[in-house]
Amino acid sequence: MISFSKKYIYKKKVEIMGFNTLVNIPKTKEILQEYPNDVNMSEIDDFLATIGELKEKNIDDAVKAIFEGKLIVCSSTGKYVVVDPIPQELNRSIEPPSNENVLQGSQSSFIEDIDTNIGLIRKEKASEKLCVKSYSLGKRQNKKMALLYLDDKVNKDTLAEIQNQIEKNLKKELHNQQDMSTIMGFSPWLTMAKFRTSELPSEVVNKLFQGRVVLFIDRLPNAFILLGLLWDMFTVENDYNYPYPLMILIRALRVVGLLATLLVPGLYVALVAVNPGVLRIEMALSIAQSRQGVPYPALVEVLLMLIILELILEASVRLPKSIGPTITMVGGIILGQAIVDAKLVSNLLIIILAATTIANFTIVGVQNSLSIRLYKYLIVIFASIYGVFGLLAGIFFIIAYLASLRTFGVSYLNFNVERDVLKGE
Amino acid sequence: MFRLGLKLIFLILVIVALSGCWDTKDIDHRLLPVTMGISKEDEEYQVILQVPEPVEGQIENRIIKETGQTITKTIDTLSENMESQVDLLHVKVIVIDKQLAKEGVEDVISGFMRSRDVSSHALITICDENIDQFFNEVSSNLDVNAVNLFEFFEKNAGWTPQIALTRVWHVYRSIHSYTHDVAVPIVVSEGSTNIRHLGSAVMKKGKMVESLTPDETLLFNAFNGKSAQGRVEAMDHASVLIISNTTNTRSDVIKDEPSLEKVINLKVVLLETKGDPTIELIKEELIIILTDRFDRMFAKLQESEADILGLGQHFRSNMPREELREWRYKYYKKLKVKFIVEIDVQNTGFLKSKSSE
Repeated sequence: MISFSKKYIYKKKVEIMGFNTLVNIPKTKEILQEYPNDVNMSEIDDFLATIGELKEKNIDDAVKAIFEGKLIVCSSTGKYVVVDPIPQELNRSIEPPSNENVLQGSQSSFIEDIDTNIGLIRKEKASEKLCVKSYSLGKRQNKKMALLYLDDKVNKDTLAEIQNQIEKNLKKELHNQQDMSTIMGFSPWLTMAKFRTSELPSEVVNKLFQGRVVLFIDRLPNAFILLGLLWDMFTVENDYNYPYPLMILIRALRVVGLLATLLVPGLYVALVAVNPGVLRIEMALSIAQSRQGVPYPALVEVLLMLIILELILEASVRLPKSIGPTITMVGGIILGQAIVDAKLVSNLLIIILAATTIANFTIVGVQNSLSIRLYKYLIVIFASIYGVFGLLAGIFFIIAYLASLRTFGVSYLNFNVERDVLKGE
Repeated sequence: MFRLGLKLIFLILVIVALSGCWDTKDIDHRLLPVTMGISKEDEEYQVILQVPEPVEGQIENRIIKETGQTITKTIDTLSENMESQVDLLHVKVIVIDKQLAKEGVEDVISGFMRSRDVSSHALITICDENIDQFFNEVSSNLDVNAVNLFEFFEKNAGWTPQIALTRVWHVYRSIHSYTHDVAVPIVVSEGSTNIRHLGSAVMKKGKMVESLTPDETLLFNAFNGKSAQGRVEAMDHASVLIISNTTNTRSDVIKDEPSLEKVINLKVVLLETKGDPTIELIKEELIIILTDRFDRMFAKLQESEADILGLGQHFRSNMPREELREWRYKYYKKLKVKFIVEIDVQNTGFLKSKSSE
């Protein structure tokens, strides 16, 4: 709703223009009124010149300013000035993170407003070395994007490459992470995350210190840390709040989690269907016993259960919080005794699946854990064909794929990016 | 991107077409025998398999047998007549009839090594009674625990240092090596323990030529450094437990006369004493009993020309290969072995024993 109103400021008539959905008009007017009286304001234009740059006959510019949530004060002579008004309160307040749990660290998280986010970073890290570059992307809409880096830490070549990439694509529309990928020049078919996302200011500041570059996009409550690497899958900044041995153990646990997710379902298929000779005889007998009367081959059995599990996971994201527990209960019944009693799958498989699912969520980053979930199927299929050798082949393919990934010239498998690449000086 | 996708789909189809994957059988459609018995009667092998089968939540033993010209053919016939495929990968123990062992197991063992149906890690034993009877006794009398015979030999279960541990590949090696033979345990089904260990058979080039008592087998294991946790009666005065066993060897050839000095260090713990012997007395007795036993065993082995201790191994670098070929027949008989036992009584238990003074 656009608001035009005629108003007297110091006995002169002016027009003010702006969206009252974006601008808190009454409060802004109050402030305009409070300008000092002692200056002699014979000419309204002179007065307006004191509160902003006086402009004339630039309709496009004025419209743009209005759409950006600014207020225009226009005098009777046709000259106008753009004022930063008091905005309407449209942002949520800073809350604890909703997707990334922090056990002992700082609890604030990013919100949708880009300025607040940059403010959070400045608060966390008060340094004159922190540089912020702002961009405005898109033809039809103007999406604000900010690029943050520490001047003394960042590698200048990488930074130049990133800036170049953004400036090349300034005309492209930016709505979501897929657009973001295209703008950064990544293939849309990538499954691994080439940028690490985080909603924690402490995490971002830590990465800035490592010399990485951070991107903020207006209306997305995440920071995009550029040069996402494999090792990011196992580390969070909060680890540093623990003593060294505990930190190492926790990270080792995540590595085990990754391997378990990838290997365990495939291992089950390989050992049950192709290479039972690898098992100890006691184990072989108890597995054979638990599979008595199961009609499907191991591969079908595993795929069936994995798909049910994926459905449950997807559904629990989709469901409103109030009926969320229903899915837990129903899923629990399906994955629990019922499907075993019905002799559709063996009860060992239930254990395997539970282990896989739990292990999956030890991995840091939503996109990472999703892509690992995907790779698991590759290994299951290889294992069903080639047995234990197939596991090896699957792992080999995955590693080969990861090794082929490069982000701005840095290998995805680089484990010491600070030493190798980023330390500019 | 479209063409890449096409390529990928093609590759995936190729995987399915080339692999021939769907001939795999799930574990519940395979028979997994743990023990396999082999005997030979009139040019025909008889194969007996002990198969643990899950029946209503319990494991039950099932004995199946078949005769045939070759072992593989026999297994094939069994597979043909059973509802599941016989999968020999889990065979842990192969029981060979004593008669067959005396005739020689070269064909059988070579067959196993060649076909790789049976793991080369499977244990070989010799049965000193009718093999049918042995299997019936063992499986019917023992409880339903399916893997009992295998556990008898398992190092983390029922194995003791009095039992020789010999695997398929050991026997295969002995058939083809000039300087190394094997000892294979002999068992019968007897007594309240169902399985009775009689000692070891000395196998020379795959043929049984001599036998050892369990005590001699312990010495044999001690010779190879594997006797830890073995109990030894030291004459009338005490019994000791061997807790650690290291050996040291020095070999020499002077004018075609091979000689060898073997030092065995045993760390022992006193278990039982009778009367009030001093530690020195026990040590002395132990050394005498072990040396005597060794000398007797070694004489026996030299007589049979079977080098189960692998003494020839120490001379491989001292003589050319043509000479080595003659090791068993020419040099082994002339070999002088100086057997030195060094005993260290580490612990006298919670009671003090008298020392020498």
